[in-house]
Amino acid sequence: MKMGRVSTGIYGLDDLMGGGFRENTINAIRGGTGVGKTTFALQYTLYGLNRGEKVLFISFEMSEKQILRDCMDMGWDEIKDHVEKENLKIIHLFGEDLTFPSLDLAEMIRTSIPYNCQKIVIDPLTHPTFYTEKEIRKSLSTIFQELRKIGTTLIVLEEPANGNQLFEGSLMPLYLADTVIHLQNLGFGELYDRTLRIMKHRGSKHGDSLYPYTIEMGMGIVIHASDKQLDRVKPKNKFEAVFSDAIEKARSMGLIGKSLSGRIGTLQKNWTRDEDPTEVIKLVLREESKGYEKRT
Amino acid sequence: MKKGLEDILDDLYDIEGIEACILYRIDGVPIMLRTCGYKEELLKTMFWLEKQIKHVFGEMNKEGLNDTVFNFRNNRILIAPSSKSTVLVTIATGEANQQLISMETLRATRIIEKCVVFN
Repeated sequence: MKMGRVSTGIYGLDDLMGGGFRENTINAIRGGTGVGKTTFALQYTLYGLNRGEKVLFISFEMSEKQILRDCMDMGWDEIKDHVEKENLKIIHLFGEDLTFPSLDLAEMIRTSIPYNCQKIVIDPLTHPTFYTEKEIRKSLSTIFQELRKIGTTLIVLEEPANGNQLFEGSLMPLYLADTVIHLQNLGFGELYDRTLRIMKHRGSKHGDSLYPYTIEMGMGIVIHASDKQLDRVKPKNKFEAVFSDAIEKARSMGLIGKSLSGRIGTLQKNWTRDEDPTEVIKLVLREESKGYEKRT
Repeated sequence: MKKGLEDILDDLYDIEGIEACILYRIDGVPIMLRTCGYKEELLKTMFWLEKQIKHVFGEMNKEGLNDTVFNFRNNRILIAPSSKSTVLVTIATGEANQQLISMETLRATRIIEKCVVFN
């Protein structure tokens, strides 16, 4: 796995996300009722716990008892041990009980977080119950800043029941999150009814297809990406000569050359397409040389 | 399952005169597609399709139709449901062998159905 990545714990998802979530980020899982959002959250939690991590799970809906029962029903019996050993701390609260959401929630996390905890899960972030419209952005931004300092956070967002359109009626400003994953279930019981789409994954290359998934007892969410879909997110090495040539050209461009050659190197590492990058590189070098030529 | 889908779309796309073949979900979300690269007209047609699929699929179900054809500019668009939640669309040039394309598209829908329906 890449440095600075936190595995999602979802079978088959890390490969589509450049290795997983980025460390110390806010990652939102969005979807309607019954798509598997809580399963996603619990799977992310369990994956970390089983690897010696500590997790804080804030639940605005289910009690600790319900969460444990759901896990046991899924076949994740080890969750009980993790609670007993205090690797997993579950807090059940109601949005209405928070007087100053951004301050109260951040304070609660700070005081109740287990020692050395790197993962936080909030399921679901039902902010409409305790935020006014005007406060949402500022309050969430404040909470997220605090959460980023602590670790990698997973937030579950419930999509409105009539929200067929992805961003229509969105209750949380999604731009505040670093990653947004959208889960859908049409309910026909076919392969493409349950699908996952990575809407946004800041600072990272990610798959942009529609990926079918299933929820398997004992395992959780399993993504069924085809070989071709997986190949589309893998960097291609066959254009090494084109990139080397471009880097050489960039280096000869004086002051901007150093940073430009670095950026071309980044493009090379992330070039996942089968197309020849020559046209893109030509355009970039031509545009960049405009300023350079003016200065020289 | 997904390999089967990729293969059937590849085979269909190999037929002369087919400019694009797209497997849509009934809500208009493209699941898989094969196209000849960027063509503005094709893109416009695809945007139109995304908006219309759900409605067309509903109407076809109501009327009990196996396929529906739209003629756009120089393109013939064949829409054929492949399962309860998927629709296969082929976009062919006017000069293409339409009979062959219709037959192959309908054959493909049967294979797609086997791939997407859980047994």
